[in-house]
Amino acid sequence: MNFGGVVVFEDISIEAPPSKVTACIGPNGAGKTTIINIVCGVFPPRSGEVYVDGVRMSGVRPFNTVRHGLCRSFQDVRIFPSLTAIENVLVAMPNQKGESLVALFRPGAWAQERANRERARRLLQALALETAAERPAGELPFGQQKLLSLLRAIATGARVLLLDEPAAGLESDLIPRVVDLIRSLVKAEGRATFLVEHNIDLVRQVADQICVLQAGRIIASGDVRRVLDDQTVIREYLGQVYNV
Amino acid sequence: MTILLQVLSTGVGLAGYYALIAVGFALIFGTLRIFHVAHGTVFMVAGYTFFSLHRLLGMNVFASAVVGVLCAVVAGLAIDKIVYGPVLRRGGGMFAVFIASLGAALIVEAGFLAWSKGIVSVARTDMLDTFIVGGVAFRAFDFVIFAFVAAAFGALYLWLHRTSTGLEVRGLTDNADLAAVVGVNVRRTRNAIFLIASALAGLAGVLVAYDTGLEPSIGFKMLFIGVVAVILGGVRNILLGTLVGATCLGVLTAFAGFLFPEWNSFTIFLIMIVLIIVRPQGILG
Amino acid sequence: MEHLLYIGTLIAVWTIVALAANLVIGYTGMMSMGQAAYLGVGAYATATLNILLGVNFYLALLIGSITAAIVGAITLLPLLRIGGFYFALATLGVNFVFFDIFHNLAPRVEGSEGLYGLQLPDFLASSAPRFATTVAVAIACALLCQGVVTSPFGRALQAARDRPDALAALGKDPRRYQLLIWTFAAGLTGLAGGLYAATLFYIDPTLFTLDASILVLVYIGVGGLASTTGSVLGVILLIAFNESLRYLGLPSQFVGPFQQAIYGLLLILLMIFRRRGLVGKYDFTE
Repeated sequence: MNFGGVVVFEDISIEAPPSKVTACIGPNGAGKTTIINIVCGVFPPRSGEVYVDGVRMSGVRPFNTVRHGLCRSFQDVRIFPSLTAIENVLVAMPNQKGESLVALFRPGAWAQERANRERARRLLQALALETAAERPAGELPFGQQKLLSLLRAIATGARVLLLDEPAAGLESDLIPRVVDLIRSLVKAEGRATFLVEHNIDLVRQVADQICVLQAGRIIASGDVRRVLDDQTVIREYLGQVYNV
Repeated sequence: MTILLQVLSTGVGLAGYYALIAVGFALIFGTLRIFHVAHGTVFMVAGYTFFSLHRLLGMNVFASAVVGVLCAVVAGLAIDKIVYGPVLRRGGGMFAVFIASLGAALIVEAGFLAWSKGIVSVARTDMLDTFIVGGVAFRAFDFVIFAFVAAAFGALYLWLHRTSTGLEVRGLTDNADLAAVVGVNVRRTRNAIFLIASALAGLAGVLVAYDTGLEPSIGFKMLFIGVVAVILGGVRNILLGTLVGATCLGVLTAFAGFLFPEWNSFTIFLIMIVLIIVRPQGILG
Repeated sequence: MEHLLYIGTLIAVWTIVALAANLVIGYTGMMSMGQAAYLGVGAYATATLNILLGVNFYLALLIGSITAAIVGAITLLPLLRIGGFYFALATLGVNFVFFDIFHNLAPRVEGSEGLYGLQLPDFLASSAPRFATTVAVAIACALLCQGVVTSPFGRALQAARDRPDALAALGKDPRRYQLLIWTFAAGLTGLAGGLYAATLFYIDPTLFTLDASILVLVYIGVGGLASTTGSVLGVILLIAFNESLRYLGLPSQFVGPFQQAIYGLLLILLMIFRRRGLVGKYDFTE
């Protein structure tokens, strides 16, 4: 994959199995967000393929990815500012009977909406956001908006979640909640989660396997504990972060 | 064949007016991202002032023209300071500025409507000379227009490429945010842009008032033709783009006017819509 | 009294237009500067069917509305890929394109610029029942619009307005919602067009120009974006204000220009001080 002469990746292969959290770490500019963009169809890869659940994803447009079971969150939060927090979560839920012009006349639309509201409320509670439920999302502090965007991606029900730096910009007391949420999603619901992160603590707590990206190449991958203890990795990358 | 040439010559004549208006509009839109609908009104201010002074009060034609252009400059700068400034300062974006510009144009046009009672005002008192070459009629006035356009574009070229303000203007076209950071004096450059653009529109206004006369809605019509010319030519290269766009459009409107006389607006705006859909950056963009 | 009923009927007609316009502009963020085109399509379709083909008025009204909806969808489809500002410009162009179409192709009565001779059913022959019926339709439309915007569909519309890219990332194509609401709004506007023809008894192309589209913008701009109450409020306030100008004693040639100048001033003041309008809920910052 390259952007106008700057070669971003050469020859990488990543596998994110279900019921596991796969993390990808690496210095800025290594291409972590680009991986997510390629998988979601924002940019096509020059060569190579993307498979979700054995289904090839070439040429799938970004808005069709959820139908294939894939959903991503953005590094810069992109919540809907004029919708309330709970509405932000509600709008993400798929297959709503109410989302049609004749919603008023469709039987079952109201019941489904009530059920969806309950689910949304529970999701908000998981991240201690229920007090902000009726506030316009644009008025919330950045940390809460970040959490909201995470909930939104989860609410789509996608089996595969691609999270772009979910902890970036969060106050440290919120991070354990994110860890709990991701772990419960993965373990209880069997979703596959692929996350891109700088926060090594979060990665240590939540990831099962990891790959380390540097300058377009994977320099290490595998079980998270093993990789993070590897001398090469520590020297090449963690050393910069931890000053080890 | 002669008909073809005749239409062509009419088209090129029209193109001169379009070029003068379009280049001013392109300067403002390309650098400041302001969709200056009121540019057409500025054009009219000059035209009506010229008409009043020369035709109604009998003032000398050149003096009236100069005053007309000056009034256009004042009008243009005033609209920027009184209308656009406050809108932008309070967080308005491109869209809000566009609506405000529309508002300003409505107000001024209403004034002209009330004053002129909707009749056409022609500023000239005698007939224009025409002469025939090879069966095609040319108007002497077309050469005057051509001369003005050539002079205006020549001066613009020199200004944009030889003066420091011009350099700053070109910098703004390329990247407005970066230009501000680098220390381009945005306010001074902005004033210069509005001044020059309005002067050019004013010149066009005076010429049209002399040539075919004004009626209150002509400002809006001319403006939109200018807009299409700018979309056609693109804002990457303001001078060349506008010339290309204006010429194409002049010829197109002349042919459309000849072949489908009742479908003028239809043709122009259909072209605009197709351009927007297919190639908004223009021929040269 | 006749005159009051007439003004009241006009208010009801324009309320429907404003409600429809607010749906696409206020709630979905699609800046439409060409709503008058759909008003005209509805008016001309209804009038032509009724006057030239003898179709029953109610049926003509329905068909006129559907025609406007179809025209709305067709005119939107090529524009869906363009965003923001250029979209607005293109809809402005649509206004002029349709004006020439009405001017050159629409039927007209011999020797005049327009069309008249609507065959209304006996029930609607006098102005009081006409007023009541139009108001009833307007109320129904208001309730319908309110229902749409408070439904999950309305929620998706506002999400499409705020961040279409994020909505797409959630698996919902914003263009689908845009097309649906636009078609619906065009249909409502066409319905208003048919009622307009019935109120005026005479239609000609000059009723459906850019000025009319701007008027709609002023109504919802003043009343409030993304607000059903705002649409109604704006229309009532401005038409009432307009009427009051008659009593100012201005010479008749100045009344039109004065109204225009006031609208222009209102637009400027709104853009500077209160972009969302009186009771609106959407402040656009682009």
